[in-house]
Amino acid sequence: MNLAIRNSLLLMSLLILGVFVLTGCVGGRIGVSWPAVGLIELYGETHIAIAYNNDVAILSPTNGAPARLINPLNGEAMRDNENNPRTWILRGSENEGSQFFSVPIRIDEDTVLIADNNKRLLRVDSVVVEVQRAYPLADKVLTNMLLAGDMLYLPFQNGGLSAVALEDFQEKWTLTTEAGIWAQPLLVDDMLIVPSIDHFLYAVDRSTGERFWSVDLGGAVASTPLLANGRLYVGSFDKSFFEISLDGEILNEYGTQNWVWGTPAVDENGIIYVADLSGYVHALDSENGLRERWSVQIAERGIRAGPLVFGERVIAASRDGKVYWLDKRDGQLINAREIDDRPELLGDMMLLEPSENLAIDEPLLLVSSVHDSRLLIAFGVDGRQTWVYPR
Amino acid sequence: MWDLILNPFVTILAWLYAALNQDIVLAIVVLTVIIRILTFPLFAKQQESQKKMQQIQPQLKKLQEKYKGDKEKMSQAQMKLYRENKVNPVGGCFPMLIQFPILIGLYQAIFFALAATPFQLVDLSERLLIPGLDSLIPLQRMWTPIPQLASLLPELDLTLAPTENPTYALALPLLVLVTTWGQQKLTMSSTGQNASKKDDDDDDDSGGGGGQAAAMTKSMTTIMPIMFGFFSLSFSVGLSIYFVTSNLIGVVQYSPQGKRVLSRVFGRKNMDEAPVEVVFEDDEPVKKTRKTRKKKARKK
Repeated sequence: MNLAIRNSLLLMSLLILGVFVLTGCVGGRIGVSWPAVGLIELYGETHIAIAYNNDVAILSPTNGAPARLINPLNGEAMRDNENNPRTWILRGSENEGSQFFSVPIRIDEDTVLIADNNKRLLRVDSVVVEVQRAYPLADKVLTNMLLAGDMLYLPFQNGGLSAVALEDFQEKWTLTTEAGIWAQPLLVDDMLIVPSIDHFLYAVDRSTGERFWSVDLGGAVASTPLLANGRLYVGSFDKSFFEISLDGEILNEYGTQNWVWGTPAVDENGIIYVADLSGYVHALDSENGLRERWSVQIAERGIRAGPLVFGERVIAASRDGKVYWLDKRDGQLINAREIDDRPELLGDMMLLEPSENLAIDEPLLLVSSVHDSRLLIAFGVDGRQTWVYPR
Repeated sequence: MWDLILNPFVTILAWLYAALNQDIVLAIVVLTVIIRILTFPLFAKQQESQKKMQQIQPQLKKLQEKYKGDKEKMSQAQMKLYRENKVNPVGGCFPMLIQFPILIGLYQAIFFALAATPFQLVDLSERLLIPGLDSLIPLQRMWTPIPQLASLLPELDLTLAPTENPTYALALPLLVLVTTWGQQKLTMSSTGQNASKKDDDDDDDSGGGGGQAAAMTKSMTTIMPIMFGFFSLSFSVGLSIYFVTSNLIGVVQYSPQGKRVLSRVFGRKNMDEAPVEVVFEDDEPVKKTRKTRKKKARKK
């Protein structure tokens, strides 16, 4: 082949390769968020709700299987045209391409509300899992909403929060922020605490939206604060962790190794456990001005979700695809479990304990990943994997 | 490995953003200019090599005709021609291979810096190498092209595609298309590929390879701008700004005036020298047999 042609072919192949790279085949991440996990009542029992990308599903805590739909008239399982049992899964592909990163909220026996990432609030008949009505929203929602009394608080991806009355679905007031709200607000009595990636933590009146105070935390605030001992604990992207009074004064500050993106955990002794995106877990004494008890790097990659405390253990899940159990006294590693294919464990963790409404025999640890075939992984307290969703 | 290129770019972009009054568009433009200037010697080397290849094309064709049927002799003659003219046949590709990761790194840096969702932003925590830049996150992604005309040209969200922005943002993919075409056209004329097109066309009837190469070059000049214009429709506006800036720099770089200035700055010699004519000792194609080789060995 002529050399000129060969060179041209090589050049063209390189350009095509370049275009593939540029379009995201290599490197760049295209995606919105990670799974949102929560609890919801269905048929008188507590179930697990998960929302991620195309689907919202309600799962049985016993085995992680989607809950079967029951006909309320005869108590029998509903079946589809092919006589298969129908399950509680709402698909975005069947609802104008909705994407979901916010778990459903039950407002009455037969109705749940789901905010999507397509600027809509869906009113869903939870008996047959069908959208009854879609209310337009000002912006996309990518974190859990908050229901308090007769008001629904909707945080928006690109900034602002909307308070909507359940009575008539009318917006009662709004909070304006300069950047997005990427974590569920926290209600403390009548005060709504709103974290925003515009670097501020806001406190507003839950009924009127009147601002009580706002405090600049130096970096984006992307996690729900923890309320403990009458104080707020929250981290920011400025590699800092704060203790804040309920009137908005920064009482103490602790420097972390990297951004703090998860809600911290607290034990019965007032020790706060916070993780950062360099894979560190820090134990801080809330009674002594956030004095460091211990700080250890346990993971190869960052820890996005906040840690959990169970008994004498601190549990953390990392982007390296592992779940770690630490001794809460000194941070020593007790156990580590690697998830198959080591997916990034980015979603919040949840600890379920047996109760009257929760049909489980022993405590269950839920860890969520962005792997399509391992969205939710359940562990026993001993670190044994119990089930995986989807199965 | 890839992080070694990407992380410094992300860091420099964030630093420029801080230094340039938190103007991300200006930061993108300045970083693109810096990278294009730093990689200019590589571009120039590539151009020089391509130009030399074009200049010796007539001689190459003569050789092809002369040694038709004797690949070995043909290859020896070609190598001699390359040697005498100091041409490396793959010399044009090597600088390009080095530039490619740099340009892709720059592209990816803009992609990461303009992260608009949690999933994209979580990666940025591992990429900022200078302490203090974390407090800039998230970078300002709203941009008003002409603040005085804000009512006519409302602000653009740099993280969204032109189709999701105000209508006038659709001008950006068009600009990408036009500037890519302009740069391609100037690159071709700079390496003399347009000039040789006529010769190549003459060979088309005889099925010469030059004709195919010219056709390929022509189709690239058409396809690439359309492709990039089309991609810009779905890429974020911030990336369109990078494409336009990069193309405009290319236009300046390859324009005759720009080339003169850059040659003076970088002290490069004139690339328009005439190629060295090579005379071959053996006028007749020689069939290499064991006998002729032995004869040559004895002569020595």
